[in-house]
Amino acid sequence: MKRLGLLPWLAAGLAALPGAAQAHLVNSGLGPFYDGALHLLLSPGDLLGLLALALLAGLRGTTAARAAVTALPTALLLAGLIGLTLPVIPNLAWLSTLAFMLLGVLVAFDVRLPPVIIAALAGVYGTLLGLLNGSTLATMDAGVGSLLGIVLTAFMLVLLASAAVVPLHAFWARITVRVAGSWVVAVGMLMLGWLAQGAV
Amino acid sequence: MNRALRKLAVLLLLMAGFWSVPGSAHESQPGLLEIRQLTTERWEIVWRAPIYYGKSHPARLALPADWRPVGEPSVQRLASADLRRQVVTVPPGTLNGSVIGFPGLEQTITDVFVRLARLDGSEASQVVRPSKPEAVLRGERPWHVTAGEYLVLGFHHILLGIDHLLFVLGLLVIVRGNRMLVKTITAFTVAHSITLGLATLGYASVPGPPLNAAIALSILFLGPEMVRVWRGHTSLTIRHPWVVAFCFGLLHGFGFASGLSVVGMPRAEIPLTLAMFNVGVELGQLAFVALILLSYRAMRTLEFRWPRWAELGPAYAIGSLGAYWTIQRTAMMF
Repeated sequence: MKRLGLLPWLAAGLAALPGAAQAHLVNSGLGPFYDGALHLLLSPGDLLGLLALALLAGLRGTTAARAAVTALPTALLLAGLIGLTLPVIPNLAWLSTLAFMLLGVLVAFDVRLPPVIIAALAGVYGTLLGLLNGSTLATMDAGVGSLLGIVLTAFMLVLLASAAVVPLHAFWARITVRVAGSWVVAVGMLMLGWLAQGAV
Repeated sequence: MNRALRKLAVLLLLMAGFWSVPGSAHESQPGLLEIRQLTTERWEIVWRAPIYYGKSHPARLALPADWRPVGEPSVQRLASADLRRQVVTVPPGTLNGSVIGFPGLEQTITDVFVRLARLDGSEASQVVRPSKPEAVLRGERPWHVTAGEYLVLGFHHILLGIDHLLFVLGLLVIVRGNRMLVKTITAFTVAHSITLGLATLGYASVPGPPLNAAIALSILFLGPEMVRVWRGHTSLTIRHPWVVAFCFGLLHGFGFASGLSVVGMPRAEIPLTLAMFNVGVELGQLAFVALILLSYRAMRTLEFRWPRWAELGPAYAIGSLGAYWTIQRTAMMF
């Protein structure tokens, strides 16, 4: 009960953050590369999606995790470069929320997808993140340096998280990972609720 | 250990070229604002804006509206900075709480030291960062606030010093075994702490241009050593990497000192600020090493397999970058 009580607050906080982050690129004072890295680290929706993807890939084993770690940053970089040249994309917070919710559902149900599908999912999610972030960066007069900060940070997050899950074979450990996936879904549902109410 | 690290280094180096833009592995020189009391109402303002990538610094100095200029400011172009002097009158009792802005600083990676010196001999200093480009003048500041500012400054300084980080990355690829790793990193830390202290306290100094060229040379030096490791050969560096880490660490310490301007620092604060700046540098370095080692473990877990020839990438990339910086910085000396 206590956990459920915290969840709405967590979701509200997370839902509020992306709006602030999109207003202008976070100034780390360390140049565009770190500004981009910080931008990703302060975008909870993107972080949850990357976490869910890493958990999903890790649950499916070494080959799937390796495929995700390769496909995601590649797609993110290429789509980001395209996104930098695009006109302003309208706020698609609902789309990115739905995307990470879907990944969370796959984790929660421990869906047994083959590595090639995991790679495809990573590619599609990376493309979505890349287009959205690239377009956002363009509106902030940020360039390739910031995009690379985002790509390297995303790569590191997925690499570390998926490698942490791969060796987990104990039943209870895999259940814990699946519970984390269900939390991602729960946070996503609450964020969608706030989005529907126009709170964000 | 070395093989997976080399793979990771390839990825990091792909990013390094962009990471260094606009850093280009040059030390970022801090700016300096000195506010010296001349009489009860008159204050001298000295604004030293560092040359920023060959041009005048984009940051401007915005003094409070109620500070009235006395006479025309004098502007002087130095080798490494633009110096602007101005005398102003400040209404009595209004100095504390005054806000000095640095519009344009937010587009840069420059920190500004602000030093306030009163007629009664009291001094105060603070660090202004691009993320919040303004200084609120106050009287006494708690020591822990100053300490925190310099710790963050040291941490940021190492994160911006891509040449220092590349050197550490090269060492990590060469080193074999956890014990030797600890020994090597400790040797590097001890060495650069010694010269950072000596340079900051004024006991030793090395002119910037040859120092920067020598630091670049230390990176170039590691390239061939990494190739030797790949080929299974051995050398003094491979057998005793801590010796190289210590020797070149002495050079890198002088480089770190360039980020710590003592010109505008009250003398009483030097021990504290020096210690905290060094702690910040060490924390940044440890964070970098930890991230590399964690990533190395993760890549091993995921069984990444690359063509053997690709493993030579980091050695050539680090060596080439080192060579490029060495030539560039040597050319800049003449």
